[in-house]
Amino acid sequence: MRIGLAYDLIRWEEKALAYTIKDLGHTLELIHVPESVFYLTEPTIRGLDVTFERCVSFYRALASSLTLEAQGVFVVNTFDVIRNCGDKMLTTAVLAKKGVPVPRTMIAFDKVRALEAAKTIGYPVVVKPIYGSWGRMIAKADDESSLLDILDFRENMPSPHFQIHYIQEFIRKPGRDIRAYYLWGEVPVAIYRVSRNWKTNTALGARAEPANLDESTKELVIKAGEAMGSGVLGVDLMEDEDGRIVVSEVNAVVEFKNTVRVTGYDLPRKIVSSTVEALKA
Amino acid sequence: MVKVTCPICGGKLDIPEDSLPGELFEHEDCGAHLELVINEGRFELKLAEEIAEDWGQ
Repeated sequence: MRIGLAYDLIRWEEKALAYTIKDLGHTLELIHVPESVFYLTEPTIRGLDVTFERCVSFYRALASSLTLEAQGVFVVNTFDVIRNCGDKMLTTAVLAKKGVPVPRTMIAFDKVRALEAAKTIGYPVVVKPIYGSWGRMIAKADDESSLLDILDFRENMPSPHFQIHYIQEFIRKPGRDIRAYYLWGEVPVAIYRVSRNWKTNTALGARAEPANLDESTKELVIKAGEAMGSGVLGVDLMEDEDGRIVVSEVNAVVEFKNTVRVTGYDLPRKIVSSTVEALKA
Repeated sequence: MVKVTCPICGGKLDIPEDSLPGELFEHEDCGAHLELVINEGRFELKLAEEIAEDWGQ
């Protein structure tokens, strides 16, 4: 097959995918998005069987997946999946609508209503930017006073999306969360992300450890992956003190360097081979 | 390896020949984070982008 790799920066993941595509005997077509012109109104790309969308920038990923799809290219993940995963408000709404357990979440547009929402949910609450990643700009408010400080900062931020207050139930995790990989209906590998910090992103220093998920947790990952539209996804789950498991996020341009490092599982090969199989099905 | 000039300090970096455009390198001498550009087969380095608000996974 002729397989495209649309990217802006080459991280470990993109390099691993590029080598794997060639190792498996496919033809690799690199699409360096920042140096490309994408035609919206006329066909210019022919012969690509599938393209992996790997831009680290959400807006570049959105724009390049949209234009590649407009050219008739099958993109993994699709524009719709990238959009729904990249916006936490959309992710939560889509998952909740499909019956996937998520933390209780409310949206408000000013301080008064945000305080009302937090009172209804109960402190502590978590306030997240609807766009963003790696745990950046996510804050925990233990009480009304700290929430007011956070809201004050947010309302003075220039980006309009900070005027949407996404307020979520705080899940008391057991010092870890779960990153599970959903690949076309399968859950081949998962890790725990262990940290003393309530934010368990590996980008913030959490330690990755192999995780063996039970069948019910795998079923939950599959339900979340299907709800988001399938493809190649990183599903983040949180366990609470009562054993309840909720889905916190789904990642559409998923990183996996630490997962490969601690599990030894050849995830790049599985991503490429399962995508090729999905395309043939 | 290909010897490429650092655009920040003018020192030299050794870049593997199989490197790809967009690949990131740190220049140990000056600490600059650099991105590879391949211009008509010629390797060049430019200062890497700062992490933006919409970056992530």
